[in-house]
Amino acid sequence: MRFRGWIPLVLLGALIVAVGAYTAVRQDAFLTEYNINNLLLATMPLALVSIGQTNALLVGGFDVSVAALITMCVVTASFTLKPDETTFGLFLGSLAILGVGFATGVFNATLIRVLKLPSIIATLGTLSILEGAALLLRDHPEGPINSDVIDKLNTSIRFMPVAFIGVVVLVVVADIWLYRSRTGMAVRAVGLDETSARRLGMSTGRIVFIAFVVCSVMASIAGFYSAAQLQIGSPIIGDYALTSIAAAVLGGASLAGGRGSFVGTLLAALFLTEISNVLPLFDQPTEYAQMTIGALILLALVLYQLPELIARWRSGRQSVGRLQGGDPEAPVASTTR
Amino acid sequence: MSSPGPESPVVVLSMGGVSKAFGAVQALRDVSFDCREGEVHALVGENGSGKSTLLGIASGFLAPDKGDVEIGGRRRRWCSPAEARRLGLGIAYQTYSHVNQLSVAENLYLAMPSSERPPYRRMDRWAASTLEEFKLDIPVRAGVGTLSLAQRQLLEVVKSLLAKPKVLLLDEPTTALGPEEVSQLHELVRERSRSGVGIVYVGHRLPEVLAIADRVSVLRDGVGQGTFGAAGLSEEELVALMIGRPLKLAFPERGAASREPEVLLDVSGLRGDRFGPIDLKVEKGEILGLAGAEGNGQVQFLRALAGVERPAGKASCDGAELNTRSPTGPMRAGVVLLSGDRALEALFPVLSVRTNTTIQVLRSFERFGFLRRGREKKAVEDMGRKLRIRMASIEQPVQSLSGGNQQKVSLTRPFLRGDVKVILADEPTQGVDVGARFDIYEALRAKANEGVALIVKSSDPIELAGLCDRVVVMSRGKIVDEIAGDQLGERRIVEAIVGSGATKAGT
Repeated sequence: MRFRGWIPLVLLGALIVAVGAYTAVRQDAFLTEYNINNLLLATMPLALVSIGQTNALLVGGFDVSVAALITMCVVTASFTLKPDETTFGLFLGSLAILGVGFATGVFNATLIRVLKLPSIIATLGTLSILEGAALLLRDHPEGPINSDVIDKLNTSIRFMPVAFIGVVVLVVVADIWLYRSRTGMAVRAVGLDETSARRLGMSTGRIVFIAFVVCSVMASIAGFYSAAQLQIGSPIIGDYALTSIAAAVLGGASLAGGRGSFVGTLLAALFLTEISNVLPLFDQPTEYAQMTIGALILLALVLYQLPELIARWRSGRQSVGRLQGGDPEAPVASTTR
Repeated sequence: MSSPGPESPVVVLSMGGVSKAFGAVQALRDVSFDCREGEVHALVGENGSGKSTLLGIASGFLAPDKGDVEIGGRRRRWCSPAEARRLGLGIAYQTYSHVNQLSVAENLYLAMPSSERPPYRRMDRWAASTLEEFKLDIPVRAGVGTLSLAQRQLLEVVKSLLAKPKVLLLDEPTTALGPEEVSQLHELVRERSRSGVGIVYVGHRLPEVLAIADRVSVLRDGVGQGTFGAAGLSEEELVALMIGRPLKLAFPERGAASREPEVLLDVSGLRGDRFGPIDLKVEKGEILGLAGAEGNGQVQFLRALAGVERPAGKASCDGAELNTRSPTGPMRAGVVLLSGDRALEALFPVLSVRTNTTIQVLRSFERFGFLRRGREKKAVEDMGRKLRIRMASIEQPVQSLSGGNQQKVSLTRPFLRGDVKVILADEPTQGVDVGARFDIYEALRAKANEGVALIVKSSDPIELAGLCDRVVVMSRGKIVDEIAGDQLGERRIVEAIVGSGATKAGT
């Protein structure tokens, strides 16, 4: 029984091409090197944070604190990546930003694993703390970010940002790891059924801990790209918490844990960014972008369920039970979550 | 040195002075237990006597309040499940350790110690040859969630053996197995014990336990009652040790023979997934047994009658046709299904005993739309006494009760409804042992005497022979034999199951 991972990938790929082609035919400004480069760079923060979020979803959790963490990292950057900083100072400044991510990750993971708080509540608390802290440090956008750093982050070969190539390689390797390796399977097993995983002698605690730390560190890397876009220490940044969960789910992740695809997550992030990139070209207000994204998320989730729905219609019987010859995708009772 | 066996001086598992409490309930009190290499040491006791807790402590899943555990000569206050495995302990859990959404091969792979796992890409082939070694016919790429309960149980045992443990704990390994599979499993257990593995066997079917064990230890209310050689022990003596008094009557008296024959449940040409067509009539006050090897459509038939699975054909209850398109129709008509999988289907594990008992009949405790808690409490406490449910309070979450007591809670529901006409019971005593079984039999018979028709599906021929008025035998989804009156006996039922060309589980 292999994960039907191809459905989200194919669907998202088709949507990205379809929206792109539709726009390219009507708007000359879309398929220019400049705009594509812009689009790919704009995808970076969402892609990175969503990849992190996928880790949290895989082990059966959520991390809603990523939104505030990105803000915190941007604000930190406005102090540590100042325009007049030396190279060594910039190096330390970058480490500080990653350090903020790492510390937040350890904090979240401790709340979840050691103090046994539900991840959504624990990270909601962290979200609020970080939001307040960011506003305390910068109550309005100020503090420009070092332009050398921004240029480095945005380095591109023609229209293709080098960093984007890096992310593509990362997600492909991560998916191979997830579905074609022992440790990848262990991570999925923990997300699918933690009790069984523990009974089989896996260190479930460590796996969940690491997943949340990775999630936060990815969010802090997303913070770099967010800073590169804003170029100033802004304490108010868009809602990455729900968007990153939406991207992961669109990419094939299950909210119940154990299922997901990093490639799918990247495609979803690209698609969501594409929609917001395209609508201004048609002089459409951004409210439409939001509504379109919402409708497409619902549509995609229905399509992902299609094989099961078809199987159910064909067999002509609707099994209410979860026991005999049951649906392999059916939920399973678990005592600890 | 002497050879491995019950006389061997080498102790592979030893637990000393172990105590454990869950909240107000003292599950174990100063229990000591040991298992030598090459012996089968059975552990018996009533539901809630502490067997599963003892195994949980031995395997590292639970930490004891007092006492220590020694595995393979290494003494530990407490060790994690991972460390217990490294020290040479294998365990087959009563509730399994499968990840249902992963394939059989992936589950086997996860159960293998990491140092001995084959390369990932050869996983399927390795899994197939492993299953062949254990003479198990299960497709390796199937999701574990699609297997029958019997297959899952055998797979659990195979998983526990993969790490080549020095001591193997089997927690109720035969609850979902038919007679054929039980002997297959016992053959495997004997083979392993001959090769020196110490085996701790927790069981509730005493004939099976006495057939396989070298020594037997008895637990009652969390206190050890001693360890005995199995050879000199009779079933009656064992029961007396378990319940602290001799068991006088194994089955309740059958109903009066003079009752008016009146058909209550009438099934004609019912067909569905893995069964049919089936024609069957059940009378008022009758307990009809449903026998057959596991996986021959008995469960699907019961579930279809209750509307949990959709059948074709007709069934009527008390003259009115049953709407089996959803569980609501049969439920309204007074047909109640007691699911065999209580944890997944029958109960809300995190809710209290009170909630689980009254959830279907809350209306009867209502006045002006508000619940009358006092009445509800009294009704639940009455049920608890009647079925002898062992609990600290009715507000205790059901998941904190022992398996057999959970089963009793799921049984309370039809008793609180006044309008029940038909009860469909799927393995009502699964995982329940002697003393508690009698309570359940008595409750079912009392219901029959009130004029309810019952169908009881069971894999235990002794139970069917003792409890039922009539038994039908299913094979490959069809009724192949009917046994009633003087003919009704354990032997005759087993012969019918075997004679009907009983198929293997899952076909």
